[in-house]
Amino acid sequence: MRWFRFAVLIIVASVLQAGFLELLNFKPDLLLILLVFFAIYCKTSDAIIASFTIGFAADIIGSAMGPQIISFGLFGTALAYLHRVIAIKKIPYQSLVIFITATLTAVFAHLLTFLKLTFLEGRPTPPMIFAVLLVTSLCSALAGPFFFLPTGWWMRIKTNRLRIH
Amino acid sequence: MREEKYAIRDTRYAIRNMIMASRQTKVSNQVLFILLLLVGGIIFIAPLSWTREFQSTFDNIFSWPLRFTTAVSLSTRAQKALPDVVSRREHNRLQNHLANVMQQLYQEHKKVEKLSGLRSRFPLEGADLVVADVIRASTGGQSEIIINRGKNDNDDLAKGQFVLGDNSIIGTISDVSSRTARVRLFTDSASKIAVKIGKLNIDRIMQGGGSNSATVRMIKHKVKTGDEVFARKKPGLLDTPMIIGKVAGCQRNKESPLLWDITVEPACNIEALNDVAVIIINPQ
Repeated sequence: MRWFRFAVLIIVASVLQAGFLELLNFKPDLLLILLVFFAIYCKTSDAIIASFTIGFAADIIGSAMGPQIISFGLFGTALAYLHRVIAIKKIPYQSLVIFITATLTAVFAHLLTFLKLTFLEGRPTPPMIFAVLLVTSLCSALAGPFFFLPTGWWMRIKTNRLRIH
Repeated sequence: MREEKYAIRDTRYAIRNMIMASRQTKVSNQVLFILLLLVGGIIFIAPLSWTREFQSTFDNIFSWPLRFTTAVSLSTRAQKALPDVVSRREHNRLQNHLANVMQQLYQEHKKVEKLSGLRSRFPLEGADLVVADVIRASTGGQSEIIINRGKNDNDDLAKGQFVLGDNSIIGTISDVSSRTARVRLFTDSASKIAVKIGKLNIDRIMQGGGSNSATVRMIKHKVKTGDEVFARKKPGLLDTPMIIGKVAGCQRNKESPLLWDITVEPACNIEALNDVAVIIINPQ
């Protein structure tokens, strides 16, 4: 794993997500797409570190620190282990995996945000808008597999070869 | 020759031993996962006031690319205006300005009626307006924006100061760091602002609803959609009522059907704001 390239990629994705994509009505979640990419194409230990790091980046551009790092870390690790059993090679399967992961991570992160803000901070939580969640998950699922190729090129990871560790 | 052979063999053994040793000390995936989960848990439990530093640092370091990408996003969304026709945003901005001027005029009339002959200061005359660029805009989920002014700019920015966007109040300063400041929009769930509902002239507290709207609860009279809502005067922070939003809906209160709940929407498109102005009353 080329960690310097990984850091640059995460920073660029975070800036784009917080700046350019933030104002669009229909937008993919770049960090989530990267989470699925690293869970699928990296060895398990690298995927675990990458998942938590991407979650940390998502927290930095989010509203509260903590929920995304746990949510991304859990689901990224689960996906990395799942990939050892089931190969996720075809684009439709990758889209499906991105959609499911996006939905699960968002719901779990919202639950943790609710716990943090309500019980630890004593302030109200912003409501969860399911329509926005579904649109973002759908956009991520549609756009995700097409981001895999340039990401693979940047990370020097061959995306057309199945790697089992 | 034989000695060289032995030396190579010894080196090979040494390297093999080192590899074996490193394999033994290698952290397993399970341990790695638990360690990282613990770190995540600590960050999760840490108070927001501490962890905000991470976010402020990110905003400080990447303020330029964030502003640039936001501007690109806004420019792609902007529609071409027809000739001799002002844009919706410009129209709203001027409407807000008109509402503020009318409200100031109304206040002045009241003062003149009551205190004829006495001089008074024109509202906001002594106030300083600090113009700041929006670094991170608000979105559907978040109800705050980050601006590029902070303690280091010597602008007297402080918590609680009102912030204007397109001539209407959009929120208050919630946090000031060295080079940036956070603006809590009045639509944020934690926001509570004293307001006056235009034609009824009723004073109430408006609470943010979290999704680009706020609510004024328990009002005796029904209010028309489109009526203007003004932020009330606040000593040291706001010298005159200023427009904050417009009535978007009026429903009967579920607990007390004789009373009404009013939904208020911002008087400008907050997501499209490039810059805002912070009102500083009596600047030093």
